[in-house]
Amino acid sequence: MNLLVIEDDPEMAEFVQRVLSEAGHTVEAVHDGETGLTMARSMPVDMLIVDRMLPRKNGLDLVREFRESGGSAPALFLSALGDVDHRVEGLQAGGDDYLTKPFAPSELVARVEALGRRGGNETPITTLKVGDLEMNLLARSVFRGEEKIDLQPREFRLLEFLMRNAGQVVTRTMLLEKVWDYHFDPQTNVIDVHISRLRGKIDKDFDRPLLHTVRGAGYRLQA
Amino acid sequence: MRLPLPAFMRTTTFRLAVVHAVMFLIFTFGLLIYLFYSTAGYMRSQSVRELDGEVQALAAAFNSGGMDRLNQTVVERSSVRGPFFYVLQDADGQTISGDFAAIPDELPESGSVETNFAYQSMNRNGELETRSANGIIIRLPNKASLMVAYDLSTRTQIVNRITRAVWTALPIGLAMSLIGGLIISRSAARRAEQLTRTTDGIISGDLSRRAPVVGSGDEFDRLSERLNAMLDRLEHLMMTTRHAGDAIAHDLRSPLTRLRNRLEADLRDGEKVDRTASIERTIDEVDAVLATFNSILSLSKIQAGSSARFQTIDVSELMDELAELYEPASEDAGLSFASEIEPGLTIEGDKSLIAQAMTNLLDNAIKYTPTGGALTLRTRITRKDEIELSVTDTGAGIPSEDRERVVRRFVRLEASRTQPGNGLGLAMVDAIAKLHQGVFELSDGPGTPPNTGLRAALILPKHV
Repeated sequence: MNLLVIEDDPEMAEFVQRVLSEAGHTVEAVHDGETGLTMARSMPVDMLIVDRMLPRKNGLDLVREFRESGGSAPALFLSALGDVDHRVEGLQAGGDDYLTKPFAPSELVARVEALGRRGGNETPITTLKVGDLEMNLLARSVFRGEEKIDLQPREFRLLEFLMRNAGQVVTRTMLLEKVWDYHFDPQTNVIDVHISRLRGKIDKDFDRPLLHTVRGAGYRLQA
Repeated sequence: MRLPLPAFMRTTTFRLAVVHAVMFLIFTFGLLIYLFYSTAGYMRSQSVRELDGEVQALAAAFNSGGMDRLNQTVVERSSVRGPFFYVLQDADGQTISGDFAAIPDELPESGSVETNFAYQSMNRNGELETRSANGIIIRLPNKASLMVAYDLSTRTQIVNRITRAVWTALPIGLAMSLIGGLIISRSAARRAEQLTRTTDGIISGDLSRRAPVVGSGDEFDRLSERLNAMLDRLEHLMMTTRHAGDAIAHDLRSPLTRLRNRLEADLRDGEKVDRTASIERTIDEVDAVLATFNSILSLSKIQAGSSARFQTIDVSELMDELAELYEPASEDAGLSFASEIEPGLTIEGDKSLIAQAMTNLLDNAIKYTPTGGALTLRTRITRKDEIELSVTDTGAGIPSEDRERVVRRFVRLEASRTQPGNGLGLAMVDAIAKLHQGVFELSDGPGTPPNTGLRAALILPKHV
C-alpha cells in the first residue's frame, strides 16, 4: 500500500515509516498539516496516518478537509490523547481508526493492514472462508469442513472479525475495541481466554490449526 | 473635566433613587394642582348655590310682603354674623338697609348682574385689611336694588392652607426619598465592594477567599452563593490538577530512577550483560511507567469531570456484557462465576467509565481471589431505590481499617505488592462513583476469615 504519514515529531515519523516499510508498504512522511493535506490530495494514497496535533493545520481539520474535497482513503489517527471523547472526535472528523501513543510496532502494522483491507472491500459479502472454515453471515452459521460449529453470539463476532482480517495479525486491543467496543486495557487476560475457547471450538478436533498466537503481538487466523 | 462621583453615587440603586425622587416631585406637583382646582371649584359652586338660596329667600319675602317685608328680612339677615353681605337701596339710590353704606358697583338697568368688589374689614388683630367678595346685584321690579354677596376670604384661606401643607410635605418627602435611596445604594455599593474585594483576593492568588453570605437571601446572597459554588468547583479542579502533578512527580520518579540506575549498571558491566534482555526489560519498564502516567491523567480527568459523556445507559445490558466478557477468564482462574443482574435498569452516566470501573473491580477480584473461590457480579435496586453494581469475591478481603485508605492514589496494601498494578484502580473506581454522584462501598464478602471476601459496590442514584 502507498501510505502517507503526517507526523511532526521526526523520531516518531521515522519510527512509523520504518515499521511500515518493513511490513512491505511504500511510506511517504511529511511533517506539517498543510503539506500533508496538499500531498494527500495530489498523490495516489491508499491510507493516511495522521498525528492529531500538527503544526499549521491540526490532524482533525486535515482529515475533515480531505474528506470534504472527496478524499476516500482511510485515515488512522495517532495521538497521545487517548480518551473516548478524543477518539469520538477523531472518528467524527472522518477518521477510520484511532491509535493512542505509545503503541507497539505490531499494533500499528495490524491496524494499518486491517484498515487497508476494509477500505478495499466495500461490497457486502455473505460468506467468509479461511481454509476449510466457512462462515455464512446471513444464516449466521459456521462450518469447518462438513462439521457444523455452534458459537455463542460473541464468539461469532470474534470469529467474524478474525476471518475478515484473515492472514493478518490482530491485537488484543483491537479485539477488545472492535468486538466488545471497550477502549481500555483490562489487566487480566480476558481476551486470551475467549480466544482459547474459540480455538477449542474451531481447532480442537482438527489436524491443522487455523487460529495462531503471534507472540508479543496478538493472534492470526490463517489456513 | 468631570468630577469623579463617590462610588455609591455611581450605583444603579442611587440612580433609581434619584429617578424615584424626581417622580415623587412630579407627582406631588400634579396632586397640588389637582387639589387646588378641585377644592376651589367645589367651594365656588357651593357658594353659588348658597347665594342662590339667599336670593330665593329674599325674592320670596319681596313677593309676599313687598319692600317692607324685604327690608325687614335684609335687616334680620345682615344682623346675623354669616358669610353673606346684603345691601338694599330704593329706586332713588338711597340705601335702606344692609352691611355697607352703598352698593359698591354699577347697578344694572334691570334683571341681575354679577359683581366682584373689594372692601375694607377689621381683622382679629384690629387691623384693617382689604378683602374681596363676590355676589349678585338685582334690580327689583319697583326699581329698587338689592345686592347679596359673600366673602371670598374663607375660600382663599382654605386653599392657602392646603397649598401650604403640600409645600411643607414636598421637601420632606423629597428628602426622605433621597435619603432612602442613598442608604439603599450605599448598602448595595458596600455589598458589591465586598464582592470586588473577594475577587481581587482571588485574582491575586488566594483561591480560598469566599464571597460573604449574610443570610438575607437577597440577590446579593444568591450571587455570592453561586460565586462561592463556582469557586469551590474551581478550587477542586485546581487541587486535582495539583495532585496529579504531585503524583506524577512523586510516583514516576522512583520507577524512572530505578530504570536509570539499572541502565547505568548495565552500561558499566559492558560485555557481561545480555543486551537484548536488557533492552526488552527497559521497554517493559518504560511501558509500565507510561501506563501509570496515562492512568494518572485519566484519573485526573475523571476527578475533574470535564470529559465525561453522560447519557442514559442500560446498566443491566452493560453488566451482562461484562459478565460475558469476564466469565471465561474467571473460570480459567479456577473461580466459579455467577451473575445476578436485574434486567432493565438504567442510569444517567458515562458508559465507558462505568465499564472501566467494573472492569477494575473484576480484574481485582480475579487477581486476589485464590483458586476455588467464587465471584459474583450483581446489579440490583437497593432498598433506598438506588442502583447497586457490585463485585463480590471470596478472597482475603480488605481489613475494615484499610478500606478508606485503598481508594486513595497509589495506596497498595502489603498483600498486593507482589501483584502487578499501579495502585490507581480503586482510586479510579471511587472517582467514577463520585462523578456519577454515587458512592463506592467496600464491605465484607460472604466468606469466613481468613477468606472473608470482599464486596466492592458502586451505589449510584437512579437518575443524576
